Amino acid sequence: MNNPINPFAKPDQQKPSCMEMLQTILDGQATEEQKQYFKMHMDHCMPCYKSYDLDMSLKQLVQSKCCGGAAPSDLIEKIKQQIEQKSS
Amino acid sequence: MELEEEVPKQSYSEKEKGEIFNQEFLPHIHSMYNFGYRLTLDRDDAKDLVQDTYLKAYRFIESFQKGTNAKAWLFRILKNSFINDYRKKSKEPAKVDYQEVETYYNSEEVDRQITPDLRVESLKDMIGDEISNALNSLDVDFKTVIILCDLEGFKYEEMAKILDIPIGTVRSRLHRARNLLKEKLSEYAKSMGYNKA
Ligand SMILES: [Zn+2]
Repeated sequence: MNNPINPFAKPDQQKPSCMEMLQTILDGQATEEQKQYFKMHMDHCMPCYKSYDLDMSLKQLVQSKCCGGAAPSDLIEKIKQQIEQKSS
Repeated sequence: MELEEEVPKQSYSEKEKGEIFNQEFLPHIHSMYNFGYRLTLDRDDAKDLVQDTYLKAYRFIESFQKGTNAKAWLFRILKNSFINDYRKKSKEPAKVDYQEVETYYNSEEVDRQITPDLRVESLKDMIGDEISNALNSLDVDFKTVIILCDLEGFKYEEMAKILDIPIGTVRSRLHRARNLLKEKLSEYAKSMGYNKA
């Protein structure tokens, strides 16, 4: 069986680690080719398969739980006032 | 001066300045406030920090090229204000030893599952402030990369510019930060009995 070229390989042909591949996927920085490759990789790599779900859930939870809501309503007014004072 | 980029100085009329400020800078105020709050963990300090950032952004507006990434530019100013002005005043713990972080990342260890014992199911049970508190409890440099990447959706390249570090360091710091966050959450899970089979 011939091994497909790993689209995650670095310019120096160094083999990327599972963790590096996973991170690229997770953070939406992967190309289509890389995504395809990683899908197949997950079929036979249990650590990646497990980490993918956990890391993805965690990322989504951070997004939904840590966005913090709106800035205080008087903040914009205060900033605008200060700028007007300084430029006049 | 930290805000200077390779971009030549722009020249804007007062009207243009106002437009850039209102249309390109102000829409990011909620993200900026959240970032400020996560860094300082104090609502008043966060307000001061954001206000400071916007005043600086206005003062240096001619270093900003209209239509480019205003959000990244603003985050960079806020981060620098925090380090230069705020951090000096407070007694923040010493910086993390990045040498150690780099070594950690490059070692073979990382491919083995040394990540804390945390399950997707226990994560799903954390519907209160657990995640937010865990994030807040991380060292500034670690929580910063998680905020920039996971919360604000910055790309590695943008993060490298905001933080003045190489992309490789962005990746390794992010990896370490996520593991620390998982460690915290795994402690929570344990203390609440989530992990019991
Ligand atoms: Zn793998």
